[in-house]
Amino acid sequence: MTCARGRICAQGGRGKRLYDASMTGEESSRISRWAMEYGLKPFAIASFFVLVALLWTFLLQHEIAYPFVFLFFGAIMGSAWFGGLISGFWAVGLSSLLITYFFIPPYFSMQVARNSQSFLAAFILCAIAITIVSSSRKRAETAIRAARDQLETKVQERTAELQQSNLEIQESERQLRLLTEAIPQQIWRADAEGSVEYCNLPLRDYIGHSMEELHGRGFFAVVHPEDAPLYRAGWQAALNSGERFEAEVRVRSAAGLYRWFLVRSLPQRAQDGQIARWYTIHIDIEEQRRAQQELVFAQEDLARLSRTMSMAEMAASIAHELNQPMTAVVTHAYACREWLRSEPANVEKASATAEKIVRESTRASEVVKRVRALFRKEAQVREEADVNQLIRELARLLRDEAIRRDVTIRLGLAETLPRLAVDQVQIQQVLLNLAMNGMEAMAGLAGHHELRIRSEAYGEGAVLVVVEDEGPGIAPEMASRIFEPFFTTKPQGTGIGLAICRSIVEAHEGRLWAANSAQGGAVLQFTVRAQS
Amino acid sequence: MTGGAEVRAEARATVFIVDDDLSICEGLCNLLESVGIPARCFSSAEEFRGQWSAGFAGCLLLDARLPGMSGVELHQQMQQAGMEIPVIFMTAHGDIPMVRKVLKAGAVEFLTKPFQKEELLHAVEQAFALDRARREEEAVTRSIRARLQLLTERERSVLQMVTAGLLNKQIAAELNLSEITVKLHRRHVMDKMQASSLAELVRLCERVKVPVWPGETQ
Repeated sequence: MTCARGRICAQGGRGKRLYDASMTGEESSRISRWAMEYGLKPFAIASFFVLVALLWTFLLQHEIAYPFVFLFFGAIMGSAWFGGLISGFWAVGLSSLLITYFFIPPYFSMQVARNSQSFLAAFILCAIAITIVSSSRKRAETAIRAARDQLETKVQERTAELQQSNLEIQESERQLRLLTEAIPQQIWRADAEGSVEYCNLPLRDYIGHSMEELHGRGFFAVVHPEDAPLYRAGWQAALNSGERFEAEVRVRSAAGLYRWFLVRSLPQRAQDGQIARWYTIHIDIEEQRRAQQELVFAQEDLARLSRTMSMAEMAASIAHELNQPMTAVVTHAYACREWLRSEPANVEKASATAEKIVRESTRASEVVKRVRALFRKEAQVREEADVNQLIRELARLLRDEAIRRDVTIRLGLAETLPRLAVDQVQIQQVLLNLAMNGMEAMAGLAGHHELRIRSEAYGEGAVLVVVEDEGPGIAPEMASRIFEPFFTTKPQGTGIGLAICRSIVEAHEGRLWAANSAQGGAVLQFTVRAQS
Repeated sequence: MTGGAEVRAEARATVFIVDDDLSICEGLCNLLESVGIPARCFSSAEEFRGQWSAGFAGCLLLDARLPGMSGVELHQQMQQAGMEIPVIFMTAHGDIPMVRKVLKAGAVEFLTKPFQKEELLHAVEQAFALDRARREEEAVTRSIRARLQLLTERERSVLQMVTAGLLNKQIAAELNLSEITVKLHRRHVMDKMQASSLAELVRLCERVKVPVWPGETQ
């Protein structure tokens, strides 16, 4: 039976291929195959079954009184089942002929007696019905089997895929675990209630406790006592609210030393939104903390230093600035006395001289005022000022320094500039810094040089100031760094001058930038905007 | 000493002030004027150099630090160019090395601003005296040189030999002349040089550094 079924299946399969082949249009082989499919093979199957039925009918007909044709039904059914509809019809035809010939009177003739005609008709009708039913059942069964086979294949494939992905998941899990053990950061995992489930190797190494000791709430034991209450409260609040949690705490190492850590906990939520786990990472911020602290100290020092430095640089200039009118006052005063002492007293000359004494004394007191304004500590007030005036004042203050350095300060000031509300002291500090830098850049060069300071209007309500020297300029690799704090190219430089300048300029809604001139010198320029 | 009157008549001693600060210039002018000393102001070293003339008598009151050419530089250039006028330096804050340097280079005085009237006048007087002496000296040598110009070639040779200590006989042999001719030349030299004795003639020659006899022939 299995063999027969297998063959039929194979035929069915081949039939499909035949049909496909017929589409290619090989006429002769198509016809012969067609004959094979619908003629020879169904006929052979039908013949086999019908002959078997005929033999058994011959053997059994003497045992059964009534005209015995049931075995033919079986043959038709078999043919239709195994050979399909065509084979069934072949079997119907053959059976009808054989029954007519052998079993319907007159026997051994193809004639049918009148009273037997209805019997034959009934037989044929039944046979056709059986053929149709049997072949359609067979078709349905074949379809079902094919579907089942397909399903089975699919199930196998899916199972294999599942196994593969399981393996992959295991592998990635293993890698992840390896990673968590290998990274220098300390990581731990807690369940939804916040009790520790897992600690990675760096954490265990750092703390010097085993996983078991840290399990549950053991982690609090290693937090600095001063930080622990705050940390515990924060952690509890995070567990309740389900929001990420961050704290900076000191954690004790195995050696008993505390280091600052940034402890950051993130919840992992399940599909339903419930928190499944907490993942926490410890980032060592000890160095950062220390550097920050040092930076604060350094900034305080440097602010003081820069103030005293610029004072030292300017002290000489101020002394000179003040000395000039004082000298004039003294000489005029002597002259005045001489005019009055002469015989007769030259009152006209004396009074003219006294006028000059007043003028020069006023000039001296203005210098004092300006110097005091320059070093006033609480210099936060923004006042309307003429940037040109600030530049002129600075040039006067730097006069002596410039002479000493064999530098001429050339001013190219715009005739009209908008008056700006600025912190005059700060802007002068910027000017001073840029001018001093410019002069220092020209220090090593032979001959006489010029430092040019220009001003011009810069759009609406802003002023551009350009300080240009004739030094070697700014090396391209330095250009991006010169405004960084603590970056300096001078042996005694602190590297804060330009950084402070930039912050001052930016506080005035301006911009400070550097470039090199066509002649190669450095050009530093900044803008200052009017305050609303 | 005899030419002193001529020198004073030539130009009145003036204080030349170089300072870029106008009010200082003004003050100094005023003070000097009040004590009867003429003064002229220049606002830069370059301006003073540009207007320099050999007839400038008196002294230079020079600010050490000036924009452009500094006072110290001007002083150096003046010395190289033979502009021999006494220089008084002044500055707001003279550092010791600079003071030492300029004094060594021949400056009369170094004044630190602001200075007392007496300091200034004392320095000016000192400088004027120096300048006067220099000018007198200059006048004397100028007159000696003028006298030397009057001598003939032969008389000049005789002068050199006489001051070198040669006797008339030796000079006659040396120049291939008779002793009487040498004596004649010698009297002409004494007359033209306005020397009353051999000693005075030698002194006059030394003042203008007349070349000694064997030096010229060799």
